[in-house]
Amino acid sequence: MLTISSSNPSYSRSASPRRWLLRHLLPAALAFLFCLPLLWLMVSSLREPGQQPSASLQGWPNPPSWSNYVSIFQQFPIGQPLLNSILVVVFAVPATLITTSWAGLAMAHLSPRPRRALVMLTVLLMIIPLPALWLPRFVLYTAVGLNDSLLSLILPALMGTSPFFVLLFYWTFHRLPRELFEAAQLDGATYAQLWRFVALPLAKPTLAVVSVLAFTLYWSDYISPLMYLRTESLYTYSLRLQMFTQQSATVQPLAMAATIVAIVPVVGLFLLVQRYFWPEGRRSSTER
Amino acid sequence: MHLKSRTRQYALYTMLAPYLLGTLLLVIVPTLIAVGLAFTTYDGFSAPTWTGLDNFVFIGQYNAFLYAVRNTVGFIVLAVPLRLLAMLALALLLRARRRGGNLYRVAVYLPTIIPDIAYALLWTWIFNPVFGPVNIILPALGLPAPAWMVNRNTTGIILLIMSLFQVGEGFVVLLAALADIPAAYSDSAALDGATSWQIFRYITFPLLRPWLALLTFRDIVVGSQAIFTPAFIMMGGERAYAAWFLPQMLYEEAFGRFRFGVASAVMVVWLLTAGLLLALAYRVVRGWGYADDLL
Repeated sequence: MLTISSSNPSYSRSASPRRWLLRHLLPAALAFLFCLPLLWLMVSSLREPGQQPSASLQGWPNPPSWSNYVSIFQQFPIGQPLLNSILVVVFAVPATLITTSWAGLAMAHLSPRPRRALVMLTVLLMIIPLPALWLPRFVLYTAVGLNDSLLSLILPALMGTSPFFVLLFYWTFHRLPRELFEAAQLDGATYAQLWRFVALPLAKPTLAVVSVLAFTLYWSDYISPLMYLRTESLYTYSLRLQMFTQQSATVQPLAMAATIVAIVPVVGLFLLVQRYFWPEGRRSSTER
Repeated sequence: MHLKSRTRQYALYTMLAPYLLGTLLLVIVPTLIAVGLAFTTYDGFSAPTWTGLDNFVFIGQYNAFLYAVRNTVGFIVLAVPLRLLAMLALALLLRARRRGGNLYRVAVYLPTIIPDIAYALLWTWIFNPVFGPVNIILPALGLPAPAWMVNRNTTGIILLIMSLFQVGEGFVVLLAALADIPAAYSDSAALDGATSWQIFRYITFPLLRPWLALLTFRDIVVGSQAIFTPAFIMMGGERAYAAWFLPQMLYEEAFGRFRFGVASAVMVVWLLTAGLLLALAYRVVRGWGYADDLL
């Protein structure tokens, strides 16, 4: 895209105060505002536990109590839940990637009529309110004996977790030139090979984005474990975190540290692939 | 050749199979179950008994349901326009590529990916009436420091603020939509002497309109379900039902009181409303002549 620089010609123009405000001060202030709750959480998680929180605002604690991050594992039963969450993600995310990239590729290669119907179906699925499915899924899982198992949390991966992911892959594969696939097919490649050796390597940005979003959905899922899990040893980390809603003010730093533990994996993964979230990042690697 | 294209179709539908099968098992079958149960009395243990339209007549006068609808609609009416405005303003402000990289955009997106429960815990502490930072700052500014989570209206304010920090998805969508607008449009308008407001009003905004419409309709659906976790955590389930939102009321009815029939009737009403909204959205967007671009 040659046009990026010409659409914001401000570099070349003289810097008026208003322009400076719009281009630098306001974005920086907003970015800070959006980070503020997380910064506060981080700072609070490093306070010395066991004391009544002070009644005034405090900056970076001195000394920061990094040992809070060890204490939480000794004082609260969060090790097993952490493992359970990891187990769910390890199965659910790859399964999601396979289901959605298969469906997306197939949709992109179908003839126009069935393709249109499937895209419509997928869009329709996006607007179904999930709470309307809570109870009937519970009834269904009870009937087939899936209740109170980690499998009930992983199962949505079978339908691609979110119809939006299917659409993302469909859009990606739809934009790829047909000749790429036809050439390989003339050489006798099967669809499985096309998927593995042509489609996937060209869809890396989409794979990255869907992986992170799917990871976030399963890692953060609070409602499914709340409804389907009864056995405490199966609790996921998100569900376990709810015990910190009723803690006294003195353990607040530990509760905050436990909250940070839930946040770090998603934020870390997001930072790794964030460039694919922005238009420039997607364009440069898909259309070349 | 004929055989080849048959095996081709066969391979394509094999690849679609998991998605279609999953959708059948996890969306279509459950929807049918909900529709069926809505006409019965069922507690999850003894067999359901057919009661016709009784559940629908019941929820028509059931205060917990009527309050939940009122609260949910009230929240949506307030939150969705503000969220849309925030998404649009942020996308316009941060569309330009900066030397500082994507730092600002990352910061804006960050609250969106925080796990629900962590996000809810974080804000309950921020608004803690005794030692939360908000109630330390407000009195210092000479403002009243409310007890926040004991009152329906002040809880609503917290939920609204929380939702305004999580606008990352729409922000990303609008950034992409803005990047798709050829720069030549605004460049030539600028050469003709158009102000930046005129360029926005007559070029950028009309081109963004289908995206804004889609985001609005999606936000209505998603907003009414995303409210569950924060409301559930802050109200602790014990709060009087006058403050409940729709998903909370559904959860209580199904998993607290085991009145599966009543809960299913609520779901059916909700699904029908969502369906009507979708039909409306489709008509509006189609009327602008954009629908084909999306398929």
